[in-house]
Amino acid sequence: MALLVPEPAQWLARYGDDLYRFALSRVASAEEAQELVQDTLCSALDALASFRGEASERTWLFVILRRKVVDFYRRQARSPFVPLPVLPEQAPEAEFFRPDTGHWQPGQGPADWAAPSGEDDLEQQEFQAVLRSCQQRLSPQHGAVFVLRFAEELSAEEICAALQLTAANYWVIVHRLKLHLRRCLEKNWFGSTPRS
Amino acid sequence: MRTFISDCQRATLLIERRADQQLPLAERVQLWAHLHLCAYCRRYAVQSPALARAARLTAQAPSTARLPSDFAAQLQRRLDEPS
Repeated sequence: MALLVPEPAQWLARYGDDLYRFALSRVASAEEAQELVQDTLCSALDALASFRGEASERTWLFVILRRKVVDFYRRQARSPFVPLPVLPEQAPEAEFFRPDTGHWQPGQGPADWAAPSGEDDLEQQEFQAVLRSCQQRLSPQHGAVFVLRFAEELSAEEICAALQLTAANYWVIVHRLKLHLRRCLEKNWFGSTPRS
Repeated sequence: MRTFISDCQRATLLIERRADQQLPLAERVQLWAHLHLCAYCRRYAVQSPALARAARLTAQAPSTARLPSDFAAQLQRRLDEPS
């Protein structure tokens, strides 16, 4: 079988929109997504010699794009490092849990989430829009962990390596971001849907 | 004083960890005992993986976005340049 020869001039026509849609699903703004596509295609141009035609061109470009997504969040998470506070009273968890007992603070305990009312597409879309807006309210470091863990589905080890976190810190961050996310959803989605 | 019976902060952290790795036996037993007694954390244990699934679905949601044409044209010029 003849090996595939890369055709950079055709990349945009063939894969441009797909690459862009993927990038949009991973970052918050259209500008950032365009930058990712541009970086991906420029890196691919530079690395043409390494393309062996074993994988399809499309697969190869997506591998590069996914690497660019990880790089993007590595840079984002690097900006101001948040040290873990020493006193339990000062920990961000104190918003959610009583520092003395560790029990849920009054009013912060998980509410009963109404079961989704079936496979309603519109409701799905609305829910996803709310989830996205909650996601964008996370701190840069939490947002980075969120995308790498829940969208890219990297392992804990891969995320710790990419963001230079210890395993213990990583779990604290996953825990905190889940607490913020679930509270945001409870306020903006589960709390506002009429319950029958 | 914090004991594993009262400590919802620790219980919910363990719930997050166990989604990724098997917990040591002692922690599994403590979490089991805590969940047995704490309705809030039982809810958390159900909602947390549901939230992860929703996040994955949101990331995979189909899109009809197109690369803006002026941006694409600019990029096309770079790809057309002979290397």
